[in-house]
Amino acid sequence: MTFKYRTMIPLAVALSVALVGCKKETDVIKIGQAVALTGDNSIWGTPEKNALEMEIAKINEKGGVLGKKLTLTAYDTRGDATEGVNVAKRLISDGVCAIIGPGQSGVSIAMSSVTEAAKVPFIATTATNPKVTVDDKTGQVRKYAFRTCFIDPFQGTVAAQFAAKDLKLKTAAIIYDVGSDYSSFLGKYFTAEFEKQGGKLVGNEAFRSGELDFRAILGKLKGTKPDILFIPTQQKEASLIIKQSADLGMKPVFMGGDGWASPDLIPLAGPAVEGAYFVNIASLEDPDIQSFVKDYKAKFGVDPVMPNPIMAIDALYAIIDAIQKTNGTDSAKIAAQLELTKDLPVLSGKLSIDPATHNPLNKPAVIQQVKDGKIIFKMKYVTQ
Amino acid sequence: MFTQTLLTGLAIGGIYALMAVGYSLVFSILNFSNFAYGSIIMLGAYIGYYAMVRMGMPIGLAIAVSIVGSGLLCWLNERLAYAPLRKRKASSLFFMISAMGTSIFLENLVYATIGARFYNFPELFAKSNLEFRGISIGVLDVFAMVFSFVAIYGLNLFLQKSRTGIAIRAASYDIEVCSLNGVNIAALIGLVFGLAGALAGISGMFLGMKYIVYPTMGWITNKAYIAAVIGGLGSLPGAVVGGVLLGVLETFVSAYVSSVVRDVFSFSLLVLLLMVMPTGLFGRFLEEKV
Repeated sequence: MTFKYRTMIPLAVALSVALVGCKKETDVIKIGQAVALTGDNSIWGTPEKNALEMEIAKINEKGGVLGKKLTLTAYDTRGDATEGVNVAKRLISDGVCAIIGPGQSGVSIAMSSVTEAAKVPFIATTATNPKVTVDDKTGQVRKYAFRTCFIDPFQGTVAAQFAAKDLKLKTAAIIYDVGSDYSSFLGKYFTAEFEKQGGKLVGNEAFRSGELDFRAILGKLKGTKPDILFIPTQQKEASLIIKQSADLGMKPVFMGGDGWASPDLIPLAGPAVEGAYFVNIASLEDPDIQSFVKDYKAKFGVDPVMPNPIMAIDALYAIIDAIQKTNGTDSAKIAAQLELTKDLPVLSGKLSIDPATHNPLNKPAVIQQVKDGKIIFKMKYVTQ
Repeated sequence: MFTQTLLTGLAIGGIYALMAVGYSLVFSILNFSNFAYGSIIMLGAYIGYYAMVRMGMPIGLAIAVSIVGSGLLCWLNERLAYAPLRKRKASSLFFMISAMGTSIFLENLVYATIGARFYNFPELFAKSNLEFRGISIGVLDVFAMVFSFVAIYGLNLFLQKSRTGIAIRAASYDIEVCSLNGVNIAALIGLVFGLAGALAGISGMFLGMKYIVYPTMGWITNKAYIAAVIGGLGSLPGAVVGGVLLGVLETFVSAYVSSVVRDVFSFSLLVLLLMVMPTGLFGRFLEEKV
């Protein structure tokens, strides 16, 4: 039966040629995703991947980009910096033109050592530390690092504008955690913007991380009678401060940042938190994203966990826009084009990227309020 | 502002005092600082939380359950961790190391089983604060202060008047002579730990109600420890005075200087006081036992 072998050899050769051919196939555009699919951060990572797959399927149904189909290659970073570096290397050797994610600042900063050298851009989703896109040693922007979320301190600007312009409040006091960059920078940005809007800062008190009793400093602030008490902390400190203000008979408008966005804010703070406002990156009740939320729920049976899916889809549209404008999938050209993104309609609103910092400019934020014992969507806020 | 600060300071000091008494009680007998005490307080808060929120007990019953539960835990702590050391006549350094180990063990046990989530007690009183001429205090604070002082007073009465109380005081002077006089030392030490645990239950309940319940909440006992040292370790009136004094002073530092330097202040006060009065305000001089 030698005859059979003879026919099989050319067949095998033909087959292997075909397989190699597949690798070089140019009728797809490969987009990579570095995402935490296991570990603590998977609560956000899994919906981030689900949302991208869903959105890419939709785009492909409509004919893809530049006449080609998009494919998503997602690898698990476990939310770990070392693993993030490995994932970036794998994605680059797989030949992706750009990477979406990661969601953690630490992972993003570690990953940029690989992506800068390989000239492949990544767009972090919820990495809010300023160092993700700007190297703090040189002060230079990282050419291949971008993000779709605003940086933490920006929330202070949003809160101050909302307080001064929309709530028309005149005086504010701040209580911040001196051991946390998040907290102190949010406080500084709030002060700067609030004073710019003509408001007056009547008190600025710091506490050390881990503090439980704020009554001493609250007692001091009580005399200054602030209209707003801005508390840029996590929900634990915020709820203790709010509860203890009530003990002292203080009733200012309480405001905070996305550190408050936890379901246990209300049970921990008790009835005193009613009416409080906080700034958030995205909200499930945002009217602009309702069709996405509906589709997601229909497909996966649960609500998407905010805000990662929204930020990932924003990133996807930024990459698609760059691919279309550069008319190709050259990573370096995509990165150069991403820098020029201006007023691009994305899921969360409009996206413009600041070329100097690679942070989004005037990105819409969400204002949430505690009302009738629930956290509600108050409005979408774009700073001027 | 002055009166308000003073009142807040008294409320904070009241909780320090209660915890400091628990520390001092154990120190007076065994001459070592039971660093596991903070974890017992934390467990007391969890017990109270489960009794009240999960099982729907009324506040009074929940406090009772927390007192009994923490008392038992503290007693068990002594039986398992310290009694074997005591039998081998280990130096107090080893007791302290064992106590630290127990504390870390208990904290991590809670992390591993219950988790790091924050729990909170429901609002107890419809009106949360009392206000008089712009001076305001939480209703819970008044309740906690009254309850704490009743508990401390009751304990003092027990130590002064009852036979067992006299035995405890005797043992605090000289445990060996006390034993020679026919006191069952093992049972007595068990009782002291049980009493300290009961106070831990009360402190845990109030700390949980005032703040929140979480695995590392016991760290606040560092302050109670300082209060006990200021008052003179081993002295109950000293612990009360030390606790209230520290609470008031800290609140004034926070209000008139800055909350950030508050701990710098408390701990330098501790070091300074130990330099000038090594035995604290009410401590008695202990001769080196050979």
